[in-house]
Amino acid sequence: MAQPLVKKDDDRDDEADYSPFMGIEKGAVLQEARVFNDPQLDPRRCSQVITKLLYLLNQGETFTKVEATEVFFAVTKLFQSKDIGLRRMVYVMIKELSPSADEVIIVTSSLMKDMTSKTDMYRANAIRVLCRITDGTLLTQIERYLKQAIVDKNPVVASAALVSGIHLLQTNPEIVKRWSNEVQEAVQSRAALVQFHALALLHQIRQNDRLAVNKLVSSLTKGSVRSPLAQCLLIRYTSQVIRESANTQAGDRPFYDFLEGCLRHKAEMVIFEAARAITELNGVTSRELTPAITVLQLFLSSSKPVLRFAAVRTLNKVAMTHPMAVTNCNIDMESLISDQNRSIATLAITTLLKTGNESSVDRLMKQITNFMSDIADEFKIVVVDAIRSLCLKFPLKHRSLMNFLSNILREEGGFEYKKAIVDSIVILIRDIPEAKESGLLHLCEFIEDCEFTYLSTQILHFLGIEGPKTSDPNKYIRYIYNRVHLENATVRAAAVSTLAKFGAMVDTLKPRIFVLLRRCLFDNDDEVRDRATLYLNTLGGDGTVVQTGDDVKEFLFGSLDIPLVNLENSLKNYEPSEESFDINSVPREVKTQPLAEKKAPGKKPTGLGAPPAGPPSTVDAYDKLLSSIPEFANFGKLFKSSAPVELTEAETEYAVNVVKHIFDGHVVFQYNCTNTIPEQLLENVIVIVDASEAEEFSEVASKPLRSLPYDSPGQTFVAFEKPEGIPAVGKFSNMLRFIVKEVDPSTGEAEDDGVEDEYQLEELEVVAADYMLKVGVSNFRNAWESMDADCERVDEYGLGPRESLAEAVNAVIDLLGMQPCEGTEVVPNNSRSHTCLLSGVYIGNVKVLVRLQFGLDGPKDVAMKLAVRSEDEAVSDAIHEIVASG
Amino acid sequence: MLMAILVSNSAGNILLERFNGIPSEERLHWRTFLVKLGADNLKGARNEELFVASQKSVYIVYTVLGGVCIYIVGKDEYDELALTEVMFVITSSIKDACGKSPSERLFLDKYGKICLCLDEIVWQGILENTEKDRIRRLIGLKPPNPTEI
Repeated sequence: MAQPLVKKDDDRDDEADYSPFMGIEKGAVLQEARVFNDPQLDPRRCSQVITKLLYLLNQGETFTKVEATEVFFAVTKLFQSKDIGLRRMVYVMIKELSPSADEVIIVTSSLMKDMTSKTDMYRANAIRVLCRITDGTLLTQIERYLKQAIVDKNPVVASAALVSGIHLLQTNPEIVKRWSNEVQEAVQSRAALVQFHALALLHQIRQNDRLAVNKLVSSLTKGSVRSPLAQCLLIRYTSQVIRESANTQAGDRPFYDFLEGCLRHKAEMVIFEAARAITELNGVTSRELTPAITVLQLFLSSSKPVLRFAAVRTLNKVAMTHPMAVTNCNIDMESLISDQNRSIATLAITTLLKTGNESSVDRLMKQITNFMSDIADEFKIVVVDAIRSLCLKFPLKHRSLMNFLSNILREEGGFEYKKAIVDSIVILIRDIPEAKESGLLHLCEFIEDCEFTYLSTQILHFLGIEGPKTSDPNKYIRYIYNRVHLENATVRAAAVSTLAKFGAMVDTLKPRIFVLLRRCLFDNDDEVRDRATLYLNTLGGDGTVVQTGDDVKEFLFGSLDIPLVNLENSLKNYEPSEESFDINSVPREVKTQPLAEKKAPGKKPTGLGAPPAGPPSTVDAYDKLLSSIPEFANFGKLFKSSAPVELTEAETEYAVNVVKHIFDGHVVFQYNCTNTIPEQLLENVIVIVDASEAEEFSEVASKPLRSLPYDSPGQTFVAFEKPEGIPAVGKFSNMLRFIVKEVDPSTGEAEDDGVEDEYQLEELEVVAADYMLKVGVSNFRNAWESMDADCERVDEYGLGPRESLAEAVNAVIDLLGMQPCEGTEVVPNNSRSHTCLLSGVYIGNVKVLVRLQFGLDGPKDVAMKLAVRSEDEAVSDAIHEIVASG
Repeated sequence: MLMAILVSNSAGNILLERFNGIPSEERLHWRTFLVKLGADNLKGARNEELFVASQKSVYIVYTVLGGVCIYIVGKDEYDELALTEVMFVITSSIKDACGKSPSERLFLDKYGKICLCLDEIVWQGILENTEKDRIRRLIGLKPPNPTEI
């Protein structure tokens, strides 16, 4: 456990090794600081007092405004002393005190004097102190000296000015940008550190000028860079140039040879930086990746933990996108499972879980079982997440992986860890039908001895949805009813609801459920009794085997089709009166998150947190949103909603993305708009869509957005009609039209009059993949064979010259928009042929399976055999058409 | 950005801390976290043996030097390898200032000098100097040897 944080002076046990600061008191030290005012300064004594002040500050002690001012004024007197040691201390002390703007004036002249001094060291330190405490106005006065200092012969002075520049760039960019000629000169300096600092500053000054950065990188990669630190910076800037030029240049990747050359540098830091840069290149090929992986593999067996950590961390990242490239390192990685450093061991395990094949799963699980007992919860959660992904990749292994999860569920662990396991089991139950019954039983056993109310209630809720659909719902009742006897009121209430769901869904169980529910009428908690009474009175049949009406089921267990936030707001605004609260008055529009929240990371698959049944929650939300808009209410069932497609570049005035909603005979574009200008209010926002390149579509409705204030996203919609059930494609150009009103930043009020304005957005395409839902199957072979072979269509295609086999595979997957199965989207290194299995549901709810066989024909040409099976031969033909025309 | 440099004694008492870009209300959390990390892992560690950890997007490199434990926290470009470099500069400068690997007492005796060394090494979260000989001269306000450049 952590040691208590005691200040050194409170720790009086260790008398023999007593501290020179023992018994130090802020008040006493401030008194001592009066020696700074003595006419005859004692430099030694003054240095000691400054050390004490530094000790106090370094221990987190703070001075009040008055104290700080007093010390600061006293310290300024010390400029009179010629003692060099004391002067150095004074510089530190002024920086630590960071005086306010009105106090700075006291030291400015002394520091200016030092800055123009003949003693180089005075100059360097004065620059650092002045830049630390200065504001914009003073900076213009000393700018001339700073520019001189950047090209000073003394490297310490030059470095001081350059590092000051890096700091000042944040506060006074327009001034620092004027120094670029001097900084450019400093980049050529013979002094290694000056070059390092100059390179960092020059890049910061020019980072938005793509051409200038390109030129800088071109010249430096040819010349010599003197320090490994600067070399690392250069590698980073080179990666940036490569990233930005990737879209514009064809052929060999520029600067790749430079990166590869850095893999042979003598400094480990540079080797790593280069290896990392190569692994992070966009669309990196296996040929490019190989040398980087080789050096990283060597570092896996280094004696230094930092190198092992860095190597395994990088390989872990590579394994996410190119698992096959990392398999060569598996043997070295396995030996790291027993590494003393748990961070390294966890990274090794999770990498192995990503790169392992189906046959190695069992062996790996054995190793992990031993490992799990001696790592902390935070690492265990990472492992659980990795195991979940592995299980989804190899569904046939669900038995052993599910057993592993249930075993660790029984062991000791905190809430977050247990929640991660339960979430994983829930996701596996949902995605792998074969795992459902065993998974539910594991959860049942867990709630028999679960100390977390939240998890118990969530599992009970989940059981209520999934349990009645199993072959033998009877067996879950005992576990659920036990909760009514053994748990707290919250869990008991949840158990009553779950029992009622079984009663409503399984008619044969109803009489027995009624017996159990009647017993709950005597519970000592109101909520439990109320729920039992409600269910007994509404389920119907008075305990006989009868069907519960659909409207009752909907009333009791149906989802609330109103966003909870909106309901909460409406209830808060409701004033008690004669008129009862009308739930239909609650708005149904879903407000998207504001900017700040949107940036929050986290795209993990959700377990119990999300609605446990049916399609993902976003589709549900979209469905409700669209059906609440009268213009779109008669479009029928929503088939698919695409991921948002950005229509503006990052950091523009208005951020707009679009979600394509596909219906059988209609397409609705939902434009999510954000106004990023605080001084503007937009009204009557609408997107004018030109569908001249989408002949089969005709606009039928649009819904403008009434008002779009700053940083509060809103939506506008445009709907098109298209031929029923036909996967029509086309290109749409978009123009945002609105009335803009100026907003007074001080009051936040908008002016009355506005001006109409327009803003050009990027084009948008509806493609064939929009008509395909990504739906996986757990066992492709079974699914394939169970489909009628008469509906199979096979043909061969030449895909022409391609960068690699993997690139060709990905292109076809993207074109079809289907779900890759059994990890077949990953192409092994150097392979000349590959089979990829895809599954999906085509518009009209037709299941489709695709078997793609790729082969390299000559050095680069890729040939493909496409076999499609579906429930409808017309759909099989349609898939071939998509490929033929893509 | 070098977010924190923290030196504690072997019992976990803070001797010196410098934070950059960490709000004061989060500092206690960092202190506790780092000291716990040391208590869990540094027992029986060899002198100057480097340890590494990562917490979200932040890297930590830490070590034992004589009677004190040193922790450095960095993010972005200051990843585990850059921090190793910084740690090397800090340990060699402290040894230089103290004449050897310091006991806790010796560290406190040379406290002022060590503060100056750190001031030369890190400035508001940016690495400035990396050579111990040069740092030794700079804290005495002497220019570096021309041969060192």
